[in-house]
Amino acid sequence: MKRPASEEGYELTLGEPEGPAAQVAPEAVPATPGEWVRKNLFSSFWSGMLTVVTALLAAWILAKAIGFVFVDADWSVLKANLRVYMVGRFPLEEMWRVWTDVYVIALLAGLSRGVQPAMPWTLRRVVRWALILGVAVAVLLYLVESSRVLIMLAAAVALMVAGAAIGRRLGRVLRKPLIFAWILAFPFVVILLRGFGGVKPENWGGFLLNVIVAVVAIFVSFPIGLLLALGRRSTLPVVRTFSVGFIEFIRGVPLVTLLIFGVFAFELLLPPGLRLPNIVLAMIMFVVFSSAYVAEIVRGGLQGVPEGQYEASRALGLRYPRMMRSIVLPQALRNTIPSMISHFISLFKDTSLLVGVGLFSDLLSNAGRATRDLAFVGLEAEALLPAAFMFWAVAYAMARWSQRVEKRVGVGER
Amino acid sequence: MTMAQEGNGPMILAEDVEKWFGKFQALKGVTTSVRRGEVVVIVGPSGSGKSTFIRTINRLERHDKGRIVVDGIELTDDLRNIERVRSEIGMVFQSFNLFPHLTVGDNITLAPRNVRHWPKGKAQEKADQLLQRVGIPEQADKYPAQLSGGQQQRVAIARALAMEPKIMLFDEPTSALDPEMIKEVLEVMLELARSDMTLVVITHEIGFAKEVADRVLFFDEGTIVEEGPPAEFFSNPKHERSKRFLDQILV
Repeated sequence: MKRPASEEGYELTLGEPEGPAAQVAPEAVPATPGEWVRKNLFSSFWSGMLTVVTALLAAWILAKAIGFVFVDADWSVLKANLRVYMVGRFPLEEMWRVWTDVYVIALLAGLSRGVQPAMPWTLRRVVRWALILGVAVAVLLYLVESSRVLIMLAAAVALMVAGAAIGRRLGRVLRKPLIFAWILAFPFVVILLRGFGGVKPENWGGFLLNVIVAVVAIFVSFPIGLLLALGRRSTLPVVRTFSVGFIEFIRGVPLVTLLIFGVFAFELLLPPGLRLPNIVLAMIMFVVFSSAYVAEIVRGGLQGVPEGQYEASRALGLRYPRMMRSIVLPQALRNTIPSMISHFISLFKDTSLLVGVGLFSDLLSNAGRATRDLAFVGLEAEALLPAAFMFWAVAYAMARWSQRVEKRVGVGER
Repeated sequence: MTMAQEGNGPMILAEDVEKWFGKFQALKGVTTSVRRGEVVVIVGPSGSGKSTFIRTINRLERHDKGRIVVDGIELTDDLRNIERVRSEIGMVFQSFNLFPHLTVGDNITLAPRNVRHWPKGKAQEKADQLLQRVGIPEQADKYPAQLSGGQQQRVAIARALAMEPKIMLFDEPTSALDPEMIKEVLEVMLELARSDMTLVVITHEIGFAKEVADRVLFFDEGTIVEEGPPAEFFSNPKHERSKRFLDQILV
């Protein structure tokens, strides 16, 4: 293959400069746009071909997509069902509970962002945010007819921005309280929906239901998975056997099977007289499922901690719980961040499997039902694509956040 | 309590200690005792059991037979005894084993604060003092990876000393270091050897052994083959195996 001195070749020799040692590395000469295009897109015949074909394909897909979104699509099904998509049958007069939850989360998210070192407003970042906000505002103005909802949403955004400003101002002092606030926010958010004459879980629905199931599954399965991972390495045979058995059994069973078992048969295992709402049974199954995966991820992290760390801790007289808390787990968990968040993203998307049980009004079930309305016959794409987009948006936000966390905890410590 | 034994009786007593790893017998009946304040250097080929032996002294390895008594406390399966012994023994490893996610300061203060329950201020003061003593003051806020190998090993020594141990065990502390860093670590060890600390050191640094050791133990195939004062051992080894070993390391 014909290839002029490429970047790869250059990197290989970086370690051993040929000139005198004192020489300063030559400054990279900024390429002119023409050079850049030639080097990156048309460096050889085949790469040129590939560029052209890919560009045509991308243009075709984009044209089709734009044509669909702005011309062909009939978004009436989405407009009519927006509320059902978001919250299902959640009663209108109790919506203040959902909004309060949204505000609590928005404020905490803003504060957490503010506490992190600020990122400079590069042109690229300004453009990206302007695009995101512009599209979001346009879409919302088009879809949402109630001005009250728009105002409430604007308030949530304002709260987030205010939180970021406060966070920036107070800085590091806030870090520890914020961690506690997030941990407390979890039960608060759920209790506020249900407690104090609230709404029964049977009536939770739409995207709200997916988010709650995912949040419960993530928060509850994390500590359980952690214990299972430690149990798997325990020297006590009973503990070890139970952990291994649980993990291997659960990992081998499809999630839908677990969910159907949980909703229709799990009651047989509960003490007689105890009846749980179906959605709670489903949540238990999500927790069970996720714990097994968390345990395996943590086990991988634990294997990455060298034996010398245990020996040094023991030699210093640290007891097992302290050794785990201060020495082993911090190192093990840091290594697991990418796979852990990727598991949580999967788990979040897997909440769509609630459809398989057939009893719930989660986002996907509701989107499916919307297409069965006579008024919206033939609008399957318009009904389902927004649901897919909502899952994607949240999953992508989680992935971005994960990248930032990885970058932050890796700095200068290893 | 141990007060009765303090000041008399050996600091470390090993009687007929045996240790197996599966079918392999690493220690085949090791008997020796170390006086208070004594500096003992252990030499021997790799696989001779010398490292296994000092690791049984603070129970990083459990011995299968025989008796080990440290400062009057016998090492048994009793966890309280193990904890008491460990808090009297500091250990320095070949590969440092510093905690990479903690700062130098936190590496040193962690055990005093959590095992000895010292208040933060006292522990930090001690850490600063020790960093001064090992010759790297004002590095407390750095992470181990930001230091050179020699500096890391000196932090490891400071970390062990922070528990105010009566005994320090060194398991080939300079073997993983670049040659130019060996000296700075040996100097710290020399200073320790001259204090009234009890030291058990596995090393191939003959100069160090000659200078400060009260006694040299030569390990081979899981037993102590020969022991004696360094001047005698290095210049006039009696046993055939000691001679062969010294021929090999003295080039």
